[in-house]
Order: sequence, then C-alpha cells, then structure tokens
Amino acid sequence: MVRPSRIAALLLAAALAGGVTAAAAGDLILTGAKPDRLFVIDAASRSVKSEFRIAGANGQVGTIVPSPDGRIAYVLVNRMESIVGIDLADGHAMFRADLSTPGERVKALFAFTVTPDGKELIAYEVPTKLLPSEYQVEEPRFAVFKTSGGLKAKAVRQYPAQRRLHMLLMRPSGKSFYALGFDLYEYDVQTGKLLGTRGIQKWQLPAHSQPDLLAFWPVTEPSGVFTSPLYSEAQQGAAAAPMTALMSLDVASGALDYRDFEPLSALIFSTVLSPDRKTAYGVYSTLTKVDVEGRKLAARVPLDHTFYSVNVASDGQEIYIGGAMCDVGFYDAASLEKRAMLKLPGCADQSVASLRVIRTH
Amino acid sequence: MPIRSVMTRLALCMLALPAAAGAAAAQPGAALVRTWCSGCHHEAKPGHFERISVIRKTPEGWVMTLFRMRQVHHLVLTDEVHDALVRYLADTQGLAPSEAAPARFALERRPNAQDLDLGPELGVMCGRCHSLARVALQRRDSDEWLKHMHFHVGQFSTLEYQASGRDRPWWQIASTQLPPELGKRFPFTTTAWSDWQKQPKRELAGRWIVVGHVPGGRDFYGTADITREAGGDYRARYALNEAGGAAIAGESHAIVYTGYEWRGRAALGGRAVREIFAANEDGSRIAGRWFDPEHSELGGEWTAIRADGAPQLLAVLPQALRAGTSGRVVVVGSGLGALDDAGFGAGVSATVVRREANLFEADVVVAADAVPGARALRAGAAAGQLIVFRQIDELEVRPAYGIARLGGGKLAPVAAQFEAIAATRLPGGALLSLGPVAAEWSTVSFDEEARRTSDDKYAGQMDPTGRFLPAVAGPNPTREYSGDNVGNLAVLASVKDGERTVDARSHLVVTVQRWVNPPIY
Ligand code: HEC
Ligand code: HEC
Repeated sequence: MVRPSRIAALLLAAALAGGVTAAAAGDLILTGAKPDRLFVIDAASRSVKSEFRIAGANGQVGTIVPSPDGRIAYVLVNRMESIVGIDLADGHAMFRADLSTPGERVKALFAFTVTPDGKELIAYEVPTKLLPSEYQVEEPRFAVFKTSGGLKAKAVRQYPAQRRLHMLLMRPSGKSFYALGFDLYEYDVQTGKLLGTRGIQKWQLPAHSQPDLLAFWPVTEPSGVFTSPLYSEAQQGAAAAPMTALMSLDVASGALDYRDFEPLSALIFSTVLSPDRKTAYGVYSTLTKVDVEGRKLAARVPLDHTFYSVNVASDGQEIYIGGAMCDVGFYDAASLEKRAMLKLPGCADQSVASLRVIRTH
Repeated sequence: MPIRSVMTRLALCMLALPAAAGAAAAQPGAALVRTWCSGCHHEAKPGHFERISVIRKTPEGWVMTLFRMRQVHHLVLTDEVHDALVRYLADTQGLAPSEAAPARFALERRPNAQDLDLGPELGVMCGRCHSLARVALQRRDSDEWLKHMHFHVGQFSTLEYQASGRDRPWWQIASTQLPPELGKRFPFTTTAWSDWQKQPKRELAGRWIVVGHVPGGRDFYGTADITREAGGDYRARYALNEAGGAAIAGESHAIVYTGYEWRGRAALGGRAVREIFAANEDGSRIAGRWFDPEHSELGGEWTAIRADGAPQLLAVLPQALRAGTSGRVVVVGSGLGALDDAGFGAGVSATVVRREANLFEADVVVAADAVPGARALRAGAAAGQLIVFRQIDELEVRPAYGIARLGGGKLAPVAAQFEAIAATRLPGGALLSLGPVAAEWSTVSFDEEARRTSDDKYAGQMDPTGRFLPAVAGPNPTREYSGDNVGNLAVLASVKDGERTVDARSHLVVTVQRWVNPPIY
C-alpha cells in the first residue's frame, strides 16, 4: 500500500485552506444500489462519474471487491448467488460466476476475495440441495474461479470451509487469505489447507463476555488493515458493562488486535482506518472518531440518518460515508464537519453495498 | 436427476388445472393430495405422501404451509382446492384439543400474550423469530423436525448470521441436539390424538347462551342459534345485548375443523368479525376470541354454553355493585331455577323484572350499610356471585406490558388496548377484584431516555377507552437522527372514587411495523 507522505498531506491541507476541494483528488468511490446499480463517484467533484446497470442483479447489490489494478469491480448480486466483474471503463460485464445450479442453491454469504495478481477469485459458497420435497443444508466450501473465465465461469478448485463465515480478506502475498467467522481462519489459496485459527469468539479479553463481530464490508484500503467494531461485556465487579472495541487485522503482517475504546454508547456498523493508522472512523447514526493508539473515543457527531458503510480518502483528509439510503457523504476527517452530501441518481437505495475507494493517482 | 421428472409431473398437474378445478374440491382428501401435491411429495405407499403424511398441524398451520407451497414452490391451487385441502389435512392430521390447549393464545391471536416457556435454549434458538406456540402447535418425529431445520437454514440464508443466531453454532445445535428434543416434546404419535380420532365428533347445532367481553368496552350476553348447513358447515344467528346497552344482531358462517376448531366469519352489528373458538371435548362449551379481521389486536372474549345444558350461571352483569347504589343486574346461564332473593344476602334487595329460560333481570338496591363482600347467588341449582363493595382501593392496568406498532404505507397501525381492573379491600384485609372499570387514560415517557427523546410527544395517543393509537411510521425529520415515531411509554390509568383518586400504570412499547403477519405469530 502506498501511503501519502507527510509533506504531501500537509500540502493538501494547505490547498484545502485555500478553499479548493482537492483533498481527495484522484479518489474514485464505488458503491452499489438496488436494484442493479453500480456507481463510480469522483470524490473531488462530488459527482457521479458513471452509473452502470448490472444485468441479472435481481434486485440487490452487495459486497464489492475492486481488482488490485482498480479496473474491475467484482460485485455480489442476485441474492448473493452470482458474482459479476464489471469493467469500470465502460460498465460491461467481463466476468460472471453463477453459483447456483438446478437442484443446488448456492449463496456466497457476503464473502469473496481476489488474488493480488487479479487472476483468481475465491468465493465462499454456502450450498443447499433442493430436493423435490425437502431442502438439505450442505457444508460450505470455497470455490476458486479464474477471472479470465468469462461470463459462464466455473470453479477450477473447491475445498471445504467453515460454517458462518462472513468475510474473506486476501493477504498481499497472494499465498493465503483470511476468513472471518466464529474465529479468524487462514487458508492456503492453492490447496485450501487451513493454516491457522485465531480466536474471535474463543479468544476473549480477560473478564469479558464472548465478543460479537459481524462485518460485511471487506475494506482494507487505504491502510492495509481491516477494522471492525466488536462488542462484548466487561465484568466490572458484579456488574457487566457493554463495551465497544476496535478489532484490527493487518492483512500483511497478520497482526490481530482488539481492545475496548469506549463503554457502548452508540451503535457502530462499520469502521475504517486512516492511512497513518492513527485514527479509525465508524458510522451508523453517528460518525465516530477513535484515537487508535490512545484507545479512546476522540469525537462523535450525529448524522442526518443512518449510514452503514464508511471509507476514508487515500490521503486521510476526508471521510466518505454511504450505505443504508441514497446519500454519499463527505466529512472533514479532522473536524468531522459535513463538507458535502451527494444524492445518488433516482435516490437509489444502497442498503448493505460496500463503499470502496480506488486510488487513481 | 429427480428434479426433471418432478418438473414434468408438475407441468402435468398445472396443465390439469382448469378442467380439474371445479370437481377437485369434491374429491376425497387423499385424492386431492395425490393430484396437487404428489408431483413433489412422492406417494411412497398408497395414501402416504413424503413429508405431508408424517406431520400434524392446526388449520392455521396447514394454511401457512400451503401459503409457502404456493409462494415459494410455485404450486398453483384454486382457493376452492386450497380450502378443501386445509379441511382434509386438519381433520385427519390435526391436534387433539388437549394438544392445542397450551398454545391456543397464538391461534386466537391474543395481543401481548406471554409466550410458552420451553426453556432457555429453545427460547433463543426458535423464540427469537416467532412464538414458541408456532412450534408447539405441530407434531412430528425427530427426523421431520430435522428436515424442518434444513428448511429453515436453506430458506433463511442469513439465519446463522443474525443476532442470537451468530453467538452460537446454530446449525450444529439445530441439526443434532434439538430434533430429538422436539420429537420427544411434540411427537407425531400420541394417545391424545388417537383417542380424539376415535371419539365421535359432537354435533354443535342447537341453542347456546353466550357471554363475552370487549376490552375497553362492555360485557355482552345473549343467544346463538347454531344450525348445520347442507355442506356440513355451521351457521350461527346471534341475538346479543351489551350489558346496560344496545342490542347487537349478527350472523356467522363457520367451519369446524378437527371436530372442535370453530373458525367463523361473522357480521356483528354490521361489523366484520373473525371467530377463533374451540368446542370442549364433550361439546358442552364453545370458547375463544373474536376480533376485527383487519386488526386482530381489537377483539374480545367469547364463551357459550348449551341453553339446555346442566345448571350453570355463566355470568352476573355487572359483577359488582357499590353499597348505597341501585342498578339492573342480569344473570345468564343454563338450567336456571327460580332466583333466590335471599341469595343476595343482607342489605341487598332485588326485584326480578324479567325472566326468560336462560336469563333473569333484576332491579337491585344495595343498602348504604350493606356488608361488603361476595354474595352467593342462586337460581335453582345454578350458582354464582355478586360483589358488594364500598370503595375502590387498588387499580391494575392490563396488560402490564403492551406493544403497539406504527402505521403507514400499506400497513395499518397496530393499536394496544388497555383495561383498568379495580379491586376493593374488604374489612378483613382481603382484596377482591371488581373487574374492569372506566378510567382516565394518559401516557408519559417511560424513563429518562424516553423523556430526552420526547417519546410521549411522538409515539401516538390514548383514546378514552384505554386504546392506544400509534402514530405514523417513517423517518420523522423533527426527531433525533430523523428517527421513527417509536416510543417507550408508561400508560397511566386514573379512577376517581369519591374524593380519592386511584392510579395505576403499565408499560407500552411503540415499535416499528411488522411486514409479515402470518396466522400464527
Ligand atoms: C413444486 C413442488 C411442491 C409441491 C407441488 C408441493 N410441495 Fe410441499 N414442499 C416442497 C418442498 C421443496 C418442501 C421442502 C421445503 C419447505 O419446507 O418449504 C416442501 C415441504 C412440505 C411440507 C413440510 C413442511 C414442514 O413444515 O416442514 C409439507 C407439510 C408440505 N410440503 C405440504 C404440501 C402439500 C399439502 C402440497 C399439496 C397441496 C404440497 N406440499 C405441494 C415442494 C412442493
Ligand atoms: C431466523 C428466524 C427463525 C428462527 C431462528 C426459527 N424460525 Fe421457525 N420459522 C421462521 C419463519 C420465517 C417461518 C415461516 C416460514 C414460512 O412458512 O414461510 C417459520 C416457520 C416455522 C414453523 C411452521 C412451519 C410450517 O410450515 O408449518 C415451525 C414449526 C418452526 N418455524 C419451528 C422452528 C423451530 C423449532 C425453531 C428453532 C430450532 C425455529 N423455527 C427457528 C423463522 C425462524
């Protein structure tokens, strides 16, 4: 991951002071919306650069994973039964994997990832066999597709997976990927071998209840670290106090960490880490700023309505918020002041779609 | 692949539809199942259809299953065939009266009813999405419970990810530990059911004496003349009176499923009413709840006994009179002998002003110094009681915890009806309930947080009968985060009793709309 140098950041800040909204120059924001939309937003001009329709989206657009070169967006659609690769230059579908077959309904429960070379896509498949008068729940598996597989891509490899996974995160080496579920698992890309398990549910903080974590937004840009709120109850004498922690996983080093940063006082759906890794931002009905090193709540402002997903400008100056409804908001990372609110054309409902940032400079 | 042959068989079924529809309802039940279901539900042995023949459910349970066969599995059925299937399945694979009894509140759609307690595990595993009554109103063995768990996870793909689903290995528990437990609690084969099947079904035609109560409103009483129609269904003609009020005429058309499950569609005083009643095992009593078809939360109690039945006082209305007052008391029941004046006891005098086979009306005067307490009342062998009281000492608001839902769009609001139940303290110290009384109603925010967000201002309003009418759903820009008009409220009832005021409160949560409203919640 390239990080803006300190000087560059200062320069940008100066430019801002001059009244030019150039902080996010070069950032493209991807978001999806019902029933079949993929939006490419130019962050600097706060405008929709492209609005694409995904054929066969079937009402819903969910997880979005950009290809490492930023040219393609892989999008989970069709009630999580299809993954479509959209060429961001012209919106044409260059890849499509329909996971279900007659007799077997297969959903990638929110989770898929792409290798760093962009050649393979790994989907988490949760299959149900549809017999004439009954359903049979089958064990989940990973299915590996070649991104060159075209519009009728078929899995080239499959291997068993845990139940109840909700996110896959590729490691920069391309040799293994993380899977988040009951715990944090690591699998070999080639063989599907389970390389290790680290605790999320099983690994409790001392004097804490079993933690609760559920994240659908596989955001690691721009810091190279995935973060998520994590909830548990801390034992305080005889009483149990609900606490909010920030969980972080550095996909390169593998460092996994979580510690409380505040007694639960506002629900947070998703978080993102600043490029300098010093600050995390979280959204739901408020915008929350967390001092990561100090492990404390730094600031919180109310939002106009709920937002599910959050991201941050590549230079760390601005926060982007989306999901839930049809607004994409731009907030000042330092002051948490609202700078702009972009309404998507037709007030398209983003729901749980990912909000991803592609850096083009 | 069996799917293919299923498709062809299905296609054949569907092709057969127009010609078969009219005649189909007249077919015996097993033939209906063969025609409409066996395309997917293989007839393994004659009359035994996979999945179908190994489950017992209430009529509402079968309706819900058929709804899914149509909605999810694209089965095409005419309403006529649908209704004939529900009759057949509920009659031959239903629940015995004793099996359905503990969970009848769900069939009766009682608002704010306390759900069954099946232990903490089933409470969280199943009770977080729907009532445990829905579970307890089915009978099947372990292998079928397991198949139903497969359906749950196969159909509701995010079930394992939801709150209270993701905190535990849901699928593992549901697929290993629960099916045997459920199979033991709610097995397919029971003596209750085999006995009920053997028992001849009671004829319900005849004259019945009815009493009922409308929450927030009055008691009523009267007669129901029930006749059997040519097709086997029942028709009831009602001649009812509100206690101290107007006459209400009505008529109902009812199907009796499984020999006791009365499901009527009635017009009462010009209003449509749905009836969910059950006859008891010996056919001497029909009881249950009736409600507005569009608003199941608005309804009341209903009890009927046979007019020519054993001596029994069904109701004394009103059930309590204040010392130093007078009023008209109505006594209804069966086998009523002469009204025994002495039964009213010292200090109470009664003059019978009307006498019918199943009813007395008496003008009652209660002396100012009459001793408070319950007075035994006798009409021949039928016995009941009338309460004499001096003052109201305590008040209770029921329900203690109510839920109302915002309205808007296609969904009507769900109101919440409260009642103030008064009690008097006898000189000896005992509390005696006086039943529902009129009260002044209001709401306030329940706690500090609700006061901060002014819930009492937004969530809705109480009407003079104790009915809470919720506000409109959707984002409200004047509320914090453009929140919905939800609220956490305390409901206050206040009764003036002479110089004193007696108060009581209960808890009301005004919450968001519920999009699906199945027959068993
Ligand atoms: C198009 C195929 C199809 C047809 C036709 C069909 N079913 Fe089903 N039925 C299914 C499937 C698939 C399941 C398993 C999934 C489920 O429970 O919804 C099922 C399950 C059931 C179950 C078990 C549900 C439970 O509670 O576990 C019952 C009972 C049932 N069907 C009754 C019927 C009846 C009665 C008919 C005919 C009126 C019928 N079905 C027609 C496909 C069908
Ligand atoms: C995620 C929510 C959820 C959970 C958890 C859940 N259910 Fe259900 N259940 C449903 C829904 C929704 C239906 C209605 C299905 C339909 O007919 O479309 C249903 C229907 C049923 C029915 C009636 C089905 C029929 O066709 O008559 C039974 C019985 C039942 N559930 C049992 C259980 C049991 C036992 C458990 C716990 C082990 C459970 N459920 C847990 C959502 C849930």
